[in-house]
Amino acid sequence: MKTWQVSVKLDNIKKSFGDKVVLDIPEFTINQGDIMGLVGNNGAGKTTLFRIILDLLQPDKGGQASINEFVTKDCEDWKDFTGAYIDPGFLIDYLTPEEYFAFIAKLNGVDRDELDAHLQKFDHFMGGEVIGQNKLIRNLSAGNQQKVGIIAALLHQPGLLILDEPFNFLDPSSQLAMKRFLEEYNRETGATILVSSHNLSHTLDICSRVTLLEHGRIIKDFDHLGTDNRQPVIDEIQHYFEDNQ
Amino acid sequence: MNFYQLYRLISKNKKLAMKRHPMFEQNKVAKVMGYIFIAYWAVCLLIAGVAMANGLDEGGREAYDVINGGLIFFLIIDFFGRFGMQETPAQEVKPYRLLPIKTNFLLNTFLVKMGLSEGNLFWFFFFVPFAVITILMKPFFGFFNFFGYLLGIWLVFVANGYWYLLWRTFINQKMVCILIPVAIYAALIYFGIIDGSFLFDSSMVFARGFITGNVWSFVGVLAVIAVLFFVNRIFQDKFIYQEISKQEKVKKVRSREMSFLNRFGQIGEYLKLEIKSVQRNSVVRKQFITGIICMLMLCSLFAFTDAYNEGFMRTFVCCYCFACLGVITLTSVMCVEGNYIDGLMSRRESVLSLLKAKYLFNCAMMIIPVLFIIYPICEGKATVMEMFGCLFFTTGVIFPFLFQLAVYNNTTVHLNNQLTKSGRSTKAQVFVSMLAMFVPMGIMYAFIVLFDKDIAGTILCVIGLAGSLAAPLWLRNIYKRFMNHRYENMAGFRQTR
Repeated sequence: MKTWQVSVKLDNIKKSFGDKVVLDIPEFTINQGDIMGLVGNNGAGKTTLFRIILDLLQPDKGGQASINEFVTKDCEDWKDFTGAYIDPGFLIDYLTPEEYFAFIAKLNGVDRDELDAHLQKFDHFMGGEVIGQNKLIRNLSAGNQQKVGIIAALLHQPGLLILDEPFNFLDPSSQLAMKRFLEEYNRETGATILVSSHNLSHTLDICSRVTLLEHGRIIKDFDHLGTDNRQPVIDEIQHYFEDNQ
Repeated sequence: MNFYQLYRLISKNKKLAMKRHPMFEQNKVAKVMGYIFIAYWAVCLLIAGVAMANGLDEGGREAYDVINGGLIFFLIIDFFGRFGMQETPAQEVKPYRLLPIKTNFLLNTFLVKMGLSEGNLFWFFFFVPFAVITILMKPFFGFFNFFGYLLGIWLVFVANGYWYLLWRTFINQKMVCILIPVAIYAALIYFGIIDGSFLFDSSMVFARGFITGNVWSFVGVLAVIAVLFFVNRIFQDKFIYQEISKQEKVKKVRSREMSFLNRFGQIGEYLKLEIKSVQRNSVVRKQFITGIICMLMLCSLFAFTDAYNEGFMRTFVCCYCFACLGVITLTSVMCVEGNYIDGLMSRRESVLSLLKAKYLFNCAMMIIPVLFIIYPICEGKATVMEMFGCLFFTTGVIFPFLFQLAVYNNTTVHLNNQLTKSGRSTKAQVFVSMLAMFVPMGIMYAFIVLFDKDIAGTILCVIGLAGSLAAPLWLRNIYKRFMNHRYENMAGFRQTR
């Protein structure tokens, strides 16, 4: 299994839609090997931030996101070691999951045996409802579509994995399975993982770092989370949301 | 909420839905094109109304009798014209279902709204000038005859609207139901439409009643409207739950490996995508089949008939045997991919491979016209150089032209749209497809006029071959320009998804 050292650097990232500033981050670094959880209310700017990192959205003038030494808007090299799933716009929905996985595998130079081994690891996660159904992705439930997107994002063992609200639509066993494999994947490969979620409990369970984003700004950044200092962080975040209802 | 308040609310919401449709909100040109399209047909009807009023006045019958006798033709055109414009109340009622309004009351309001729709007045562009000339300007008729005729005609089209609605409701349940009105109309035309027949005479007498103020004509049409209204109510009510809980039938899909494309590497994977996209997406399939039918028709016309043996039309047919499929499918290049553009853009150079695959796919389709044109070559009607000229000119000049749209297209085509939600072309699409239609033909024709067929064919062949061989270069150039436009395009694709 490959091992990675990937960091993400945000430099003067600002994004406005008309007069409304939806994201304003002067400087921020996500260190290699972090599992970073991004939490915040709806409209906080989480998806916008992910899209900017992935060069799917242009930041306002002067801002840039870099993955290792690559400025994402200037080159495509970072794409080789980045996997992401934001929404169904990442899926080719007229393929079956098998065809889609094979397609992504071919694009990333993953051979048939590697692909089969990879899919086998996710057998439990897929719960017998994804593979062998002879259904197009568009005919799968939202949860199963989400699973296809997440598995495909992990297929080439990326050094940077970005998942937007990955727990949404998933049943409890799949949520637990995903938590487990994200932790394992991070431990085994040293990959940097960015997840956003409304589920505080899941986020805090797996993340070594939690960043609270509100109205486009980083309000709090809790680093070096471990089992010993997790509870005070949970309390603080809960208080924040209660106070800002 | 009373009837009038609900009627106004529904009217307001329908207007806002039209006005705020993402396709139109983003695209002023599409709006203007829509208005131009309506104005064009209005003018055509107006001219036809005046022309028929004058042209049909010379025989033994009055012009209005001739038109009234053939009213069924107008009704048939109106019936089929409504597809794509008018939805059924069962489809439209969904957002109002949770409001505290009785379903029957809601359906009645929708049905009345459809009866009073301004669309039912569209044929007045024909009938008003026609009636002015043939009724109002005649000494033996007055304003009341003119008014009575227009009122009667309007009621006939309202009845036709309800007739359409009924069948549209059945067609929504089972597509095969379209065959029933088609069969009815075919039988009517076959058995009864010829001058002097029962249908012609009765239709003539019936509509003449509107002019002469025969109360039975009005009672007749009002009775038909009332019957159709209530029949519609019953069926709309019956199908409302089916429409609301409508689910796409999930078919089992047989996956094909298409291993013969593996040798092309990454481009081969995108070629597989192209083929599967045609197989599995109804909008893409329709577009492709339309292109293939056009191609086959033009090829047959060129190969097996003497219809276009000389002159400009010969050049047109010969050139478009090769180009028409590309013109039809490539004007919306990247619009299908708008559905999963984020996935493509998060992988290195995947759009470049996709463009290469699309180019190869369209080049491969050239085998169809090549096979067809072998016959006129054997017959001596066309030369080998001419065929190669058209072939390479298409792949080396027309295709690069059409592929430019990959840089500018930013509207997502929905892959499995229903009949009523067809996509509309953007300014660039219209402009480039028009250029692709006429510029190459002009160039080819100029060469053929200036030189003989073989020399012209050779020149086209050389130019086209150069363009085809340079495909990797111009495709990369398009890709670079696409990447420069990427944020704008991705935003457009997301908004119209």
